[in-house]
Parts: sequence; structure tokens; C-alpha cells
Amino acid sequence: MKRFRTIFNFELSNYFKSKSFTVVTLLLVLLIGGVMFFPRISEAMRSGDSSGADERPVMLISVSALNVSDDADLSDTIEPDVIGAMFSAAFPENETKITDANEEKIKESVLSGKVECAFILNAMDSYTYYVNNLSIYDSNTAVADELLRDICRLNGMAEAGVDPAEAADIMSTQIKGETVSLGKDQAQNYFYTYIMIFALYMVILLYGQMVSMSVATEKSSRAMELLITSAKPVSMMFGKVIAACLAGLVQLLAAFGSALLFYNINESYWSDNPIVSSIFNIPSELLGYMLLFFILGFFIYAFMYGAIGSTVSKLEDINTAVMPLTFIFIAAFMIVMFSMGSGSVDTLLMKICSYIPLTSPMAMFTRIAMSSLPWYEIAASTGILVVSVFGVGIVSAKIYRVGVLLYGTSPKPGAILKAIRKA
Amino acid sequence: MTLEIKNIKKSFGSKEVLRGLSFSAEGGKAFGLLGRNGAGKTTSIRILMDVFPPDEGEVLFDGRPIDYDKLRIGYLPEERGLYPKRIISEQLTYFAALKGMSKRDAAISVDKWLDRLGVAEYKSKKLETLSKGNQQKIQLITALAHDPHIIVLDEPFSGLDPVNAMLLKDVIKEEIAKGKIVLFSSHQMNYIEEFCDGIAILNEGLAAISGRIDDIKKSRPRDKLVVSSRENARIKSEIRGCTDAEKGEIIIKLDSENDKMSMMNRLTAGYDVDEIRVYEPSLNDIFIEYAGSSPSLSEDKNPKEAEK
Repeated sequence: MKRFRTIFNFELSNYFKSKSFTVVTLLLVLLIGGVMFFPRISEAMRSGDSSGADERPVMLISVSALNVSDDADLSDTIEPDVIGAMFSAAFPENETKITDANEEKIKESVLSGKVECAFILNAMDSYTYYVNNLSIYDSNTAVADELLRDICRLNGMAEAGVDPAEAADIMSTQIKGETVSLGKDQAQNYFYTYIMIFALYMVILLYGQMVSMSVATEKSSRAMELLITSAKPVSMMFGKVIAACLAGLVQLLAAFGSALLFYNINESYWSDNPIVSSIFNIPSELLGYMLLFFILGFFIYAFMYGAIGSTVSKLEDINTAVMPLTFIFIAAFMIVMFSMGSGSVDTLLMKICSYIPLTSPMAMFTRIAMSSLPWYEIAASTGILVVSVFGVGIVSAKIYRVGVLLYGTSPKPGAILKAIRKA
Repeated sequence: MTLEIKNIKKSFGSKEVLRGLSFSAEGGKAFGLLGRNGAGKTTSIRILMDVFPPDEGEVLFDGRPIDYDKLRIGYLPEERGLYPKRIISEQLTYFAALKGMSKRDAAISVDKWLDRLGVAEYKSKKLETLSKGNQQKIQLITALAHDPHIIVLDEPFSGLDPVNAMLLKDVIKEEIAKGKIVLFSSHQMNYIEEFCDGIAILNEGLAAISGRIDDIKKSRPRDKLVVSSRENARIKSEIRGCTDAEKGEIIIKLDSENDKMSMMNRLTAGYDVDEIRVYEPSLNDIFIEYAGSSPSLSEDKNPKEAEK
């Protein structure tokens, strides 16, 4: 136990004293700070140059086609000025202008960039929309559709003898609805589950590989010759893995903690963003589960990464050696991500994955976050995982003991198994 | 203090590395563990240090199985290497603490040794910034700092300049004088002869011979004569079993020790001889005779078997 503590302290100081660890953590906090302060900063900047705020992009509206049309009824009821006013109300981001220019002229000015876009109304229920580059977020046509549909309906009602004020009342009927989810609200918890899974994925992958790198470095620098004669492989393995786990946890805490802190400072600026505010509404129970699955998932992968690191003689072979394990991990991540995206996290595949030790940390956590599970499913999955962590830990220590003394070409898995059985 | 290795066997897969190795070493004396590459030296050291257990046989300290929580062993591996990027005092304290010292005692002892070996100025530097000789000294501290009962030194002199070699010799002699068991593994026979009282020569997983160097030398058949003469050519052409030796001398191998006198008489009577003496085998000769098993040396195998 004393040796384990010595190893643990030494390994931990390895992380905390390294410049890259400090720099990465600080950068992470700065980045999160930048994101969380962004609305406040951008608002400050907008209010700063409000003098030039009148520079809204121009939207041209041509109603000349309406005037020459034979549809006398419409032009009787709707004046071009009224249309202009309605467009200007519907597109507050743009400066709307009624134009008499012909189609060619309008196209030219759109192409030249003088105006952002133009609507040419052919009739009250038909138009052409001109824009230079159509953005995928361009919702102008949808807004115009809605606007014109309203106008047509109002007209229709007016024609049928309904009082315009009454007609407007009917048109603006609001529906009040409330959704109460008795289980989990997937729209709400999708984003924070996504972020937590991603954090889990990044930290395990990063620190797992650091563990295998650290073992392989000790082996290739031959410090191993001394270590293996000074401490038991189990102490070495557990000391290393737990130190890495703690370092990863510290980095996670720094990221999540600073995000929470910055969010609280800027809460008023984010209040109209439902996604961001949902992220910071993580139930504390779920944070507990995240910690649990992070630690267990971290252990099981870090042990395996450490064992693989011990079988490698040259540092440059390490990437090839850990690849199969990394692939399994990425596959687990993909399965979870796809089922999250598809909205059904209780598929058969996910159910199976949430009991297999290598996939369960992410799969089970996702199901806990996004679905309602009976306690015994969670207990069973956690139980299997805990037992496997100890099993994998002990087997890894055995592989480690055999592996660190083997130099030359990397041994085949069969040879390692044989050696373990003997050891 | 006595360390006894008793009939140890160890195989890896189908490869039998140790086939019943036995030897014993005493406190206050250095013991040389010799053998060609692959003879099983490192494996026996690792078994001694409990890296893995032997398949058969036992390692005894003062007649009892070793309690590794109490017995401290210092080890200077042949393959040197520590953490290149860590501060020297930090990693030395770490290794001493791993060997069971408290952090405070470890720091005190490390300081003492850094001072003794003249590398105190590098205490707070990274290992990789030191010269190779100084890195060797740092490595040596990992074997000594925790005040071990048994010190295992594998090729301790390789890579040291004469001044540092002298320093190391003094240090080793001090440790021997403190009554510790020093196990020495080296291919440099002059160092073995200088330090070691007893040796074991390993060959194919067995101690081909073991005991005190003096006894081994005395037990060798005195069946070779060294002749210094001006008539080398004539002697060589007329007498059987002549080989050239250093300084223009000739070695004559006799059929048996008993022919010594008659050969001496024949030489003094028939030739102009300056000097005749009985050949005293060097450790090198003994090593080649017992450790060698390559085809060119196979004829030496028979007398060895007979010896046993």
C-alpha cells in the first residue's frame, strides 16, 4: 500500500508538474470562457457602434406587376404602401424598399451586392425571390409565404363580408399548449448528454493513451529494469491508472466548473437560448452517474492501454498496438451517438451494449440520461462493470509483468496468454 | 549474512534458462556471477529480486526464505535507464521510497550519495542534461541509496572513465567493508579478480563451476609450463603441445601433471632456457574453459565433465 502511494504520488506529480497539462487546462478554461462571454461581448460591441446601426441590408420589393394586373379586386384593397409596411414589419433585419425598377435592373443590383435580396410579386399568391448566394439558413421565403398567405386570407374574408378587424382577430388566434414529460425530456437532455458523452470519450481516449505511452516510455528508457525489481506490477499498474484518472478528472472539473461559473456570471445573456440553458440544468443525480461511469470506464480502458503499452518495445510501435482497442472505443462512441441522434436509446443494440463492459460506460450512461430505467438494470450494468474493472486490472498487471521484460518484436497475443498462465 | 541460491530451475515457454543453478555468497565479500551472454545471469538476478518466482528451487538468506519486505536489495541493471525528463533528486527519492524508505530518510540519503559521488551540483537538473558518466553515477545511487543488504551490480564499470572507475571501486570497497553482500556480474575479468572472493561461472543454466577464485585456480591441473628461451623455433619443432604466449614466451601443455619434472629437465638439458615456470591460469582462461560452449571450444568440454 505504501508503494502504491509512492507510485501514485510520483505519477500524479508527472501530470501536474508538466507544462503541457497546465497549458491545455488553461486553454480549455479560456476557450470555455470565450464562448460563455460571447453574447455579453458581442452585445457590448453592438451597442458600441449603434450610430452606424442603420446600415441594414436592403431588400427590394417590386409590386409593379400587381398594379398592371387585371386583378382589380386586390389592388383595390391592398395598396403598395401597405404591402411595403407589412414586409418591413415582417423583415425587421432588413431595410425594405418598394421599387419600380424592372426585373433586369433588380437582378443587377442584387448581383452587384447593393441590395441583399428582392421579392418581385407577380400576384398576391405568386412571387419570385432573387438573392445572390442562397444561404442554407435563408428563411426569407418562408416568412414571405406566411405573410402573403395571411394577406390572401384576410382579403378572402373581407370579400366574404367579414369585418377586417374581426378577420384580423380570427387570424391571430393563439393556441396555448403545455407538454408534460413524465419520463425524460429528450429535447432537454439531448445536449447535455451529448456534451457529457463527448467529454467522457475525449478524456478516456486521451488519458488512456497517455497511460500506455507512460508504460512504453518506462520500458524503452529501461527505467523499467529498476521499477520491476522495486514494486509489484499490480501497484505499478493501479498507481499509474489512478493517477491518470485523477488528472483527467481534474481537467474535466476545470472545464465543467469554469463553464458553470461563467454561465452563472452571464446567465441573463443566455436566457433566450434554450439549448445553452438546458445544458446547465443537468440534474445532480446525473452528474453522479457521470462520475461513476467516467471512473469505471476510465479504469477499464486505462488498464488495457497500460497492458498494451507494456508489450511494445519501441515507442513508435505504440500507435499501431493500441489501435484495435481505440477502434472498439470509437465504435462504442459511434453506436451511442447514432442512437442518440435517432432518438431511440433503448434499441436492442443499445441494451446489449449497456451490459458489455467496454461499451457500457457510455451506453448505460446515455440510457440513464435519456430514458427511464428501472434501478436493477442500472445496478446490473454497474455490477458487471465493477467486476470487470477488477478482473481487467489484475489481468493487465499480469500482462504488464510479462510484457515489460520482453524486448524485441512485440509478442503475439497467444504467447502473452501462455506467459500469463505461467506467471 | 549468507545468500544461498539452491538448485533453481526456470524456463520460459519451451526454453530452459536455468537448469538447477546453485551458488552461495557471503556478507563482507564480493561474489562474481560470470557467464556468457544468455547464460542465465539476468534471469537468476531477477529471481533473486522476486520479479518472478523460480519453477523449482529456493533462494535463502541466512538459511531462511527471503522476506522481501525486510530484506533490501540494491540493483544496478546492465541496461541503464531512468526517467530522462525528471528532476534527478525527485526520481532518486522516488526509487529509494519504492524500496521502502520514508520520504525524509530517502531525501537525506540521496543527498549524501550525490555528495559522495561528486554530482551534488546536478541535484535539481533533469537527468537528460547530464553527461553519460554522470548519468551512470546517478543510476548507481538508485542501487545504493536505500542502504541495501545485498547489492547487485551488473557491469558497473562500463562507460566509466578511469577517474570515475576509481571512485566506484572505492565505493564498492566501502560497501563490502560494511559487511554487505555484493553480487558482481561483469565480463571484465580484471575487475572480478580485483574484487571478488568467490565466483560462479554460469553455462547453459548451470553453475559450471563455483567457489573461491583462489581455490578454483589451485584446483586447476598444473600441467602447463611457461618457457622463456632464445630457441623458440627449435623447441616448437621438437616438443609436442607448444603454443605461443605473450612476450615471446612459449606454453607447453603436458600430457599430465606428473610429466612436469621430466619436461623441465629435458628443456634445461637440451636448450638455452632463460626461465621455466608452472603456468598459473588466469580467470580469463578459467572463464573460457567453463563458460564457452560454442563449437570451436567443444573439445574443452571433456576435461570439464571429467572435473565434475
